[in-house]
Amino acid sequence: MDHLGFIVTSYVLSFGAVAALAWRVVTRGRALARQLPEEDKPWI
Amino acid sequence: MAVSAPSTATEQLPGSGATSTGTRATRLLGIATLVSLLAVALFGLVLSPADVVQGDAVRILYVHVGTVWVAYLAFGVTAISSAAFLWKRTTSLTWDRIAGASAEIGVVFMGITLVTGALWGRISWGKFWVWDARVTTTAFLFITYVGYLAVRGLGGSHQQRGRRSAVVALLAVLEIPLVHFSVKLWRSVHQDASVTGRESDVTLDGLMLFTLMLSTVAFTLLFVWWVLHRQRVLAMLDALDDKGLDLALAERRREGSAT
Repeated sequence: MDHLGFIVTSYVLSFGAVAALAWRVVTRGRALARQLPEEDKPWI
Repeated sequence: MAVSAPSTATEQLPGSGATSTGTRATRLLGIATLVSLLAVALFGLVLSPADVVQGDAVRILYVHVGTVWVAYLAFGVTAISSAAFLWKRTTSLTWDRIAGASAEIGVVFMGITLVTGALWGRISWGKFWVWDARVTTTAFLFITYVGYLAVRGLGGSHQQRGRRSAVVALLAVLEIPLVHFSVKLWRSVHQDASVTGRESDVTLDGLMLFTLMLSTVAFTLLFVWWVLHRQRVLAMLDALDDKGLDLALAERRREGSAT
């Protein structure tokens, strides 16, 4: 495959950034949900 | 043996609605998103053929096109939610939080678009960056929405934040047609719409077209999943903010009555 370095870099950066930020949202949500009563979480 | 029901939020199962921003629906959506993104990587890197003209560089476009589509979608959702917030009958802060969450995600995807575009440009044009109309207006759009997020972070009440940022969002969205049509308005080295363009004579191999469509679907699923979780996080941050304010006011009243 030509330009393998550029191609792999683009996939690693894109999927890596998305995975890291999505994980951060989930963990932040868990940390905040522990501090609040159920009436502040209408999605339950 | 009798099993007692959990009595507080912290006794709920980890990852259940009470201790997270997830629900059964978002978990199913998350699984679908993960599977489709893995499929994008498999088809994009391995199964789809190299392009006749671009060679293997076309593989970058499966990410580039999918992410720019979601960035446009996210900024569109931000504008619609902002309009809904400003509409007198629906001044619910939920609209404001959806707008904020969507803009944050749009900025992430627009950033990825710029990076993948630079990597593709290095292969195709020999440079990471050119001051081309499409590339420059896209960077300007990215900076505009970083500015929108900065405006959201200014002080004031939640309603003030909502009104202020909604106005900025409704102005910022006007840039999207400028970015999209920049390749027609000015001379551009960036290619025009290859698949949907009316004047396009580009024919895509079936597997390449499938991978491109799969990418847009996968990133759209990711966007929906992400907005749902992020706007719930923003709702909890607002709730904690309100409770902190209530506590501070109660403390001040206690101090006032003691003196």
